[in-house]
Amino acid sequence: MDPNSLKRTRMRYRSERRFKLYCAMALVLAGVFLVIFFADIISKGYPAFWQAQIKVDVSYTQDVKELPFLAVGEDVSELISRSWFRQLPRKLNEHPELIGTTRSKWVLADGAVDQYLKDKPNGLDKEQKNLVDRLRNQDRTKLAFNTYFFTQGDSKLPESSGIFSAAVGTVYVMIVTMAFSLPTGVLTAIYLEEFARDNWLTRAIEVNINNLAAIPSILYGLLGLAIFINYVGIPRSSALAGGLTLGLMSLPVIIISSRAALRAVPDSIREAAFGVGASRWQVVSHHVLPMSLPGILTGSIIALAQAMGETAPLLLVGMMAFIPEAPSGFTDAATVMPAQIYTWSSAALRPYAERTAAAILVLLAVLILLNLTAVFLRKRYERTW
Amino acid sequence: MNDAQVKMATRELNVYYGEHRALQDVSIPFYAHQVTALIGPSGCGKSTYIRCLNRMNDLVPNSRIEGEVYLDREEIYSTSMDAVELRRRVGMVFQKPNPFPKSVYENVAYAPRIHGLARKGTEMDQLVETSLRKAGLWEEVGDRLSLPATSLSGGQQQRLCIARALAVEPEVLLMDEPASALDPIATQKIEDLIYELKSRLTIIIVTHNMQQASRVSDRTAFFYMGEVVEVDDTQTLFTRPSKKQTEEYITGRFG
Repeated sequence: MDPNSLKRTRMRYRSERRFKLYCAMALVLAGVFLVIFFADIISKGYPAFWQAQIKVDVSYTQDVKELPFLAVGEDVSELISRSWFRQLPRKLNEHPELIGTTRSKWVLADGAVDQYLKDKPNGLDKEQKNLVDRLRNQDRTKLAFNTYFFTQGDSKLPESSGIFSAAVGTVYVMIVTMAFSLPTGVLTAIYLEEFARDNWLTRAIEVNINNLAAIPSILYGLLGLAIFINYVGIPRSSALAGGLTLGLMSLPVIIISSRAALRAVPDSIREAAFGVGASRWQVVSHHVLPMSLPGILTGSIIALAQAMGETAPLLLVGMMAFIPEAPSGFTDAATVMPAQIYTWSSAALRPYAERTAAAILVLLAVLILLNLTAVFLRKRYERTW
Repeated sequence: MNDAQVKMATRELNVYYGEHRALQDVSIPFYAHQVTALIGPSGCGKSTYIRCLNRMNDLVPNSRIEGEVYLDREEIYSTSMDAVELRRRVGMVFQKPNPFPKSVYENVAYAPRIHGLARKGTEMDQLVETSLRKAGLWEEVGDRLSLPATSLSGGQQQRLCIARALAVEPEVLLMDEPASALDPIATQKIEDLIYELKSRLTIIIVTHNMQQASRVSDRTAFFYMGEVVEVDDTQTLFTRPSKKQTEEYITGRFG
């Protein structure tokens, strides 16, 4: 071989190796960030799934109905969550037979005690710390699984606050978003792809839809505020207002992905159906739509996952709010998971920080589940022609 | 031979794609129970022409048609003729086998079902079997009708497409290069099939293969640059062409 060409070949291989190395480095960098992110969130959020409880002797007397603090000894009463005291009078009204008895019970500890037991900065004074230490030595403290986090709404007391109301709100909002944007988006895509003629009007619509997909999401919030709340009069902060706003936002994405799925159906199938005398609607409903359904569903799930994690537009329709009670209808005041995360992240009390991370974990788990569903659907129904 | 009944005909057919004129004044008669082959170099308008005969060209955006196409003396572009009904009477087989991604049975039963030609159950089973027999496919797939059509071989898929077209008992069958994607053995089967089907219906076939045209057709039309150069009995056209262009093409000097 002539030495010049040999040299050139070697140089080509060298530059190939170099390029491969750059690519691998980029991958490692992205991977490192991902690992750091997950490690950070998990280490911060994991403690929130465990909550401090204290074992105390609870004496149910007649006075407890008026002054719940009297149910436990004066010294430990400040270590116990106020939310636990609050529910005592109601409990006694429901179970009057308890009055006059004394029972040893595990009760929810105050947030500061919880943080102290987890070795984190807390607001306990020296005396209180000594008391907790004494209780701990008597095995009268424990970290139990935090059911409050999943069954309670937001609260001003960190130890009894949870994601329940936000999760229910997210479900309501997603139902509205899906009910609005899925049929509208898919039907629009079918019309543009299968029925509309290719002229300047459809091309203008297409350009506009592509642009809408790239618009900052907060503008959809303004639009939702102007149309749904100010003009139509849908209640502020309601799942209906938020869902419709997010529906507007995911509409372009659903249209674009549905059109791509419809376009992926080869023309030979349309010709075959037309060729045996199918009408246009029969061609679409019998052949094109069933074949493109996995693609349409995949795109829609991804659009909905995106909507589920969206916060900015909801800020403007009033969903970034303190909502302790889960909504029981589409017009009730509601909040959603990402909004709850935002609210907690700016809260001053320490235990909210770990709840922020825990709520992020829950949201991430749901989103990963949704995306896996999309991947599964694509793999399961993917066909080659 | 030419005193046979004219089944289909075009008169002064012109097709435009935007400004481009793809066909110029094409007039060809097609006789009942004969096979007419359309030959010519690529881009000469054969496929455009055959697609006008069942109005498949309507689906091409920006296309415009002038002139007349008759089926049994009825103008198919007139408002009294519905494209959906026309395509039941004039079936089509495409260049690449394009079965629906469904079972063999569903492929054949689809068209009769949407046209309401057979009731579900034994009547439909019967029709599926008859159609597959007509296409010479029953022996090969009769025992696996629930298999996906895409699992068949290319040649079988193409014959399935023919069975699908035959299921609605069309009067004319248009074939757009039906064997160009197949191997010689599968091609042979399709050609035998064309010969058998001729007694039932009128066949118009586009082909690139001149041996094929001479083997299967009774009459041949030679297209060049969007015009029909010559139409004649196949034997005459291949042995004593009256135009010089035709002779040059069939002897392989161009195209």
